[in-house]
Amino acid sequence: MTFEELVRLGEYVWEVPQDTALRMRVPGRIFLSEVLMKYLERGAIQQVANVATLPGIQKWSLAMPDVHTGYGFPIGGVAAFDVSEGILSPGGVGFDINCGTRLLVTTLFKEEIEPRINELTTALFEAIPSGLGSKGQLRLSEKELDGVFSGGAKWAVNQGYGNPTDLKHCESNGCLDGADPTKVSPLAKKRGKPQLGSLGSGNHFLEIQCIDRVLDKKAAHLFGLKEQQVCVMLHSGSRGAGHQICTDYLKMFQAASRKYSIELPDKQLACVPADSREARDYFSAMAAAANYAWTNRQVMSYWVRDVLEQQFNTTATLVYDVAHNIAKLEKHTIDGRRKQVYVHRKGATRAFDKDVSYGIEQPVLIPGSMGTASYVLHGTKKAMSTTFGSTCHGAGRVLSRKAARRSLTWRGVTESLQRKHIAIKTDDLSSVPEEAPEAYKSIDEVIDVVSKLGISEAVARLTPMGVIKG
Amino acid sequence: MQKYEFIEHTADVTFKAYGRDLNELFENAAEALEDTMVFLDEVAPGETLTIEMSSDSYENLLYDWLSELLIMFEVERFAVKKCFVRIGGLSLTAACLGERVDLNRLRVNAEVKAVTYHDLTVTRNDFYHAEVTLDA
Repeated sequence: MTFEELVRLGEYVWEVPQDTALRMRVPGRIFLSEVLMKYLERGAIQQVANVATLPGIQKWSLAMPDVHTGYGFPIGGVAAFDVSEGILSPGGVGFDINCGTRLLVTTLFKEEIEPRINELTTALFEAIPSGLGSKGQLRLSEKELDGVFSGGAKWAVNQGYGNPTDLKHCESNGCLDGADPTKVSPLAKKRGKPQLGSLGSGNHFLEIQCIDRVLDKKAAHLFGLKEQQVCVMLHSGSRGAGHQICTDYLKMFQAASRKYSIELPDKQLACVPADSREARDYFSAMAAAANYAWTNRQVMSYWVRDVLEQQFNTTATLVYDVAHNIAKLEKHTIDGRRKQVYVHRKGATRAFDKDVSYGIEQPVLIPGSMGTASYVLHGTKKAMSTTFGSTCHGAGRVLSRKAARRSLTWRGVTESLQRKHIAIKTDDLSSVPEEAPEAYKSIDEVIDVVSKLGISEAVARLTPMGVIKG
Repeated sequence: MQKYEFIEHTADVTFKAYGRDLNELFENAAEALEDTMVFLDEVAPGETLTIEMSSDSYENLLYDWLSELLIMFEVERFAVKKCFVRIGGLSLTAACLGERVDLNRLRVNAEVKAVTYHDLTVTRNDFYHAEVTLDA
């Protein structure tokens, strides 16, 4: 796989021709500017081509501008598979099922928070468990855990962790249909049970942010966003439950892929026909993990609101909650026909042109790396016709975690945050360099590309004031 | 002979493990995983846990073995300092020496979410080697 094989179709569109690799059923498409092209890895191109070999893939194997090498699918990968001739692949979702982003907007403005930013960051850090293997404050029974798997964010709201309006402001209303806790292994339940309501570690975070620029007045107004207003962004997923569900089904699908004679260029792409019993079981378990993740973010929002009430006698409204590692059954127009497909988004965000939450396009939340801007965008018609209603999910790594640790120190990174008046709290200082801005591409460049492509449009830019690194 | 080495991977952690035989290969792969998760010199070999498992290929056995160690760390908080592996056919028996760690005391290196099948190989020429990518 070489860069010379890529064919430039437009300013930001690069094609991986169908004859690049054996058995590709469709071409690949990678969306990049010339600046981002410099970061494209050979491995990522290979992975785009590998996904294109899977049965029932529709139109293209896609990669968003924040693409980088993953395992199986590239990170930033999007692919849609026919419901009857296509496949479902746990590797196309990833281990952190429904890893996603949630944004809450407070009634506070930057100047009110500024003098107390350290205090607020510390209070949130103490209220929300974070770090490796972090455990939540809830003690769930088996039955309650099943309720989480089946009901998603609604379970949390019914228990008093939020209000019904929150559900309206979540992708899929915070619950995927078809979840079945009996398809979740005892081990996945054991891993998930103590962790509900915890952030986790790695690139998961909570940030106190300030809206530094409104870029689309009408949409911002509808989403309830004003310049200088303070927001809280959460990035977390389905914790050990999701990791184990993916591990279980990947293993099961190694043999199942052979049974269905599906040739795989990479074992991590193990998959089964979308209409098989195995696929139905996986979908039911994956939906359960997705629901766990929505509940997780809902419960953490409760603690955020609790701290805001105690410290500032105020609350926060949920703007939106999006998944960026998920497979969903959706209808798309493909070659002029409405078709049901399983859209796999691995490190990619849904960006629909219509959404019930605000009666306009769907809000999209894109976090930047630690200490840099994040964005609120909205979906577009163009996304519906070119990316199965999808866009990027973040800045995308350029340095491996190891390389980041080698070239940066935690002291240097935290000092540079402090110079920008950004408070930071973490359980694990040694991992701070891994999430430093230098380890990622420029979020502004990635947003510029998705905007110019027209697959989403920027509504507001947010800058961090306080960071809790998981 | 080198026991294992880490290779650059943008998003995750990839390592190559080596062994004169399969037993040593699996022992060294386990050490590479533990080395990713914790600081090994801070772990004491005070307690022994026994693991038995079997699979249908060496790759799948390695996947299961490493997944089991990962779960032992996440669920039981058991970090392995050293292990002794015996492989016969496609069955594995292992004695794992380590301790149940207190995360307030022990420094954690990185949270590993899962072992992946991506480019997972177990091969043999003069000696055995394996390549493993972890989602970390």
